[in-house]
Amino acid sequence: MKSLLVLLLFAVPAGAQQFTYRGFAEVQATGYMQPAPQDDGRVWSAALFRVEPAYRPADWLTLSGSFDARVDSAEQVERVWRIDVQDRGLQRPAFSVRHAQATLRKGTLAVDLGKQFVRWGKTDILNPTDRFAPRDFLEVTDADFLAVIGARAQYERGGQSFDVVWVPTFTPSRVPLLEHRWAPLPPQASGSAGFVDLGAAFPQRSQYGARWNVVGPGFEASVSYFDGFNHLPQYTATPLSSRPLIALQRTYAPLRMAGADGAVPLRWFTVKGEAAALFSHSSEADDVVLYIIQLERQSGELSVVAGYAGEVVTANRSLFEFAPDRGLTRAFLGRVGYTIGPTSDVSFEAAVRQNLDGVWLKGQYSKAVGAHWRATLAGAVIGGDERDFIGQYNDNSHVLATLRYSF
Amino acid sequence: MSDRPLSSGHRRSRLHAVTLALALALAAPVLAQDDARKIVEEAQRRTESKSQRYEGLLQVLDGKGKVADKRWLFTRLGSHGQSKAVLRFLAPAEVKGVALLIVNHPDRASDQWMWTPALQRERRIALQDRSTRFFGTDFSFEDLEERDVDQYRYRLLGEEVIDGAACWRIESTPSEKKISQYTKSEVWIRKDTYALAQVESYIKTAVVRRLKYSNFAQQQGIWTGRRLEMSDLRRNSRTILTLEKLEYNMPLKDEDFTLQALRNPV
Repeated sequence: MKSLLVLLLFAVPAGAQQFTYRGFAEVQATGYMQPAPQDDGRVWSAALFRVEPAYRPADWLTLSGSFDARVDSAEQVERVWRIDVQDRGLQRPAFSVRHAQATLRKGTLAVDLGKQFVRWGKTDILNPTDRFAPRDFLEVTDADFLAVIGARAQYERGGQSFDVVWVPTFTPSRVPLLEHRWAPLPPQASGSAGFVDLGAAFPQRSQYGARWNVVGPGFEASVSYFDGFNHLPQYTATPLSSRPLIALQRTYAPLRMAGADGAVPLRWFTVKGEAAALFSHSSEADDVVLYIIQLERQSGELSVVAGYAGEVVTANRSLFEFAPDRGLTRAFLGRVGYTIGPTSDVSFEAAVRQNLDGVWLKGQYSKAVGAHWRATLAGAVIGGDERDFIGQYNDNSHVLATLRYSF
Repeated sequence: MSDRPLSSGHRRSRLHAVTLALALALAAPVLAQDDARKIVEEAQRRTESKSQRYEGLLQVLDGKGKVADKRWLFTRLGSHGQSKAVLRFLAPAEVKGVALLIVNHPDRASDQWMWTPALQRERRIALQDRSTRFFGTDFSFEDLEERDVDQYRYRLLGEEVIDGAACWRIESTPSEKKISQYTKSEVWIRKDTYALAQVESYIKTAVVRRLKYSNFAQQQGIWTGRRLEMSDLRRNSRTILTLEKLEYNMPLKDEDFTLQALRNPV
């Protein structure tokens, strides 16, 4: 990884024709409507600088990367002078290699090596087959994707493509910090004064997967297989006898997935579906089938996506886990976007559990100013029962203002 | 005028004249259809090239004036219904890297996929979504397709002068296999160069988009309008596309027009 980075940096001045970059600097302020039991901070602010260079020294080789520098007021970002590559820390690194990869292409074969994003699935709101896509859930409802370190080979011919992925190093999803308002509280936590983090036990073996995708004139479909680990943790909670504290350790259950997804455009809308059967041979993780069916339509300036995400538990074994993917199932999900003009748009998103125990609604207005600036104002309302995955965040309704300069 | 009755010979020749006139009147639409198709075929033949590349400067203007500038790099391999094209945004900065792959077919609508770097995913643009504006411009996804002569039926409507140039005015109606947001289009083709001068696209009976070509010049033997002005008549907005660094018939590889290649940032 280091040698790839060095190669990328030294290659930069050489190629004027085949070099490109993009990036942005962003400041963000979040205001919460009320204090949370474990966190009375109401205003968070953060700044992020990201640069994404890419260089193609030869027809068959492309080097690309993305590098972040960030700071915040809520101490979700480390205060350490180091460049992070693995993205395994509890906090976001202040300086990080977000992704850095070499893409080698020969004919219809492409091989990606390095830290990269691997995205599977076709639906837009939830992707049960997207198993190589850990996320940063420090703020649960605004979760960015994390890249994984590994190799990927894709063979594409005609309307078919075959994708094989090998990931030797595990990258977990980043979970909300204990003592912060987005932390999930295990049942053992009631009445305790706080938590002690015993860290994480990361899996040691490689993960791999394969996906076959077919594009036809009236459909698109794929089947996929994954053998690895759940990037979302389970918590082992142990009350400490000496103090009124709970000791928490994160573990990651082994997981196998058989999945499929498809899209069929019909006269009035596109039907998209995705399903994944997840099997674990851990004694503490559930076997589940996650599925989503959605309808999608764009017309003029309006885009609408609406669907239902479901879950069938085939073996119930888990103790306590942080599982936003399952937390958004048994729910109706939707998104409506409207382009007001060439520089502004508005969107609304919603997730409503079918038993109404959890409701999340978000509205957003965004406007570009000039060639580089964009201002975004968003508001999210969260309500529901504290035992529900969404409802447990009913103290976290917030407004969010973002100002971004892109270059 | 004589009151004298017509002789049988006169009656026969008059009958012949009426029959001929009737036959011509009945045949006129067929002839016009044939002529129109031949004109479009010739226009297509004259613009055929193995490949094309240009940098497009887009100026999006609403009713009040200029709103936004965008820039894309367009590359095409093949011609008309046998072509593939990649359109990659170069500016503004926030959409840099967004790319569209268009696979055109001779007998039906194209296949289109859009790659968004921020999402790290490509998305197929469904047929029924092709009326959507393409990234805030006045071009819809369908307008970015390359038309093929076989996808439409034609009728010659007459002749008109556009920007001082004599043109044929031809109505084109999508064939049954060609799914289109437009009910029909009227196309103006210049008589001197067979270059497209104007296209008006209709939904039912109303003109909804007008595309005007200007600044014509020959590039490697192909007459090309280097300034395209697309007006969305329902929104009262327009987008001016200026073709810069235009080239034809440069060597391009088939493998640069795949979903794999779409993900490549350079």
